[in-house]
Amino acid sequence: MSVMNLKHRMVSLMVCGALLSPAWMAMGETPPPAAADARAADAPAPPAASASDAPPAGLKTLDQEVQGLKKEVVDLNKDLFVLQEQLLFPANTQVALYISMDVGTFFALDSVTVKIDNKEVKNYLYTAREADALLKGGVQQIYLGNLKVGKHELVAFFSGKGPVEREYKRGATINFDKGVGAKYLELKITDRVPKHQPEFMIKDWE
Amino acid sequence: MRRALLAGSLILSAAMAAWSPAAAPTIVGREAPDFVLRGLDGRNLRLSEFRGQVVLINFWSRSDGDSRQQMPALDRINITYQRAGLVVLGVSVDDDLRRSKEFAAAMGVSYPILFDTGTKIGQDYLLQKMPMTILLDRSGVVRYSAVGFKRGGESVYLDQIRELLRE
Repeated sequence: MSVMNLKHRMVSLMVCGALLSPAWMAMGETPPPAAADARAADAPAPPAASASDAPPAGLKTLDQEVQGLKKEVVDLNKDLFVLQEQLLFPANTQVALYISMDVGTFFALDSVTVKIDNKEVKNYLYTAREADALLKGGVQQIYLGNLKVGKHELVAFFSGKGPVEREYKRGATINFDKGVGAKYLELKITDRVPKHQPEFMIKDWE
Repeated sequence: MRRALLAGSLILSAAMAAWSPAAAPTIVGREAPDFVLRGLDGRNLRLSEFRGQVVLINFWSRSDGDSRQQMPALDRINITYQRAGLVVLGVSVDDDLRRSKEFAAAMGVSYPILFDTGTKIGQDYLLQKMPMTILLDRSGVVRYSAVGFKRGGESVYLDQIRELLRE
């Protein structure tokens, strides 16, 4: 979606909001109790069924318009998010790092530190709920950044509780070539059942 | 002459605005910045995971006398109101992690004590003086903020906590 198109939609949304606001204000006004009672006494009693079931036609269309506006706001928000991602992390420099965990019998994750070219770019502490979500098959985007085209080194340090509840700290390294397109890497924590040890790998998604 | 008077009054009002207590930066009314910190028991706690509950965050320092007085009072509040949906979090801002942990263990409070060894949280929450206590509503917005503590001062928090729990 182009920026001009987005601007056009935002302007139309603001105009709709400005047009609707007097109607909302009118709806929000409630008469004083005495006046309301007098009006109720004067007016003929409406049929009971129609009063409770069918809302007035004007109210219905207004409600539909509000729903439509809400949907437009959600769509705009999505478009803005995509635009922001494209502007801040263009595809030719983008590096995205994900983390996943398989089984986790021999390792309880506590924190991950990521260094790219010897510079710390992320240090993430995991709560029990987040670690549990990874164990259930969740994949987390732990880092999104920009890198120049060329050779780079990524080092990840994992700390947590290893077998027999012992403090456990391990690292994994990968040397990779950043090309013109986006680069996707995955930190994988798996169990090595024969050795009763966790295994830490970094996978390069070509 | 009138111009000089006008300029003088403008300068005076600007100076008064700069010195008035209302000009002090505050995070009341803003969404509380999220953080994740390691607790005394080794578990990590993230603030946003308590969304839906009323949260009292108490920033304290071991070297501060008011903080020492406040912790037993907060412990009583936690014991009384935790079943009603209140979460009390103590956040130590001491540089000396080992001594801070020893102090927290000695205090033996029932609520989680977390340790902040960086400076980011202090900046995010505009910490100026210890202890600082803030109250968040169920949607994570800072509703009240108080600096310092006097014996019996917990009655102020109690009114605010009850009000937020009722919402």
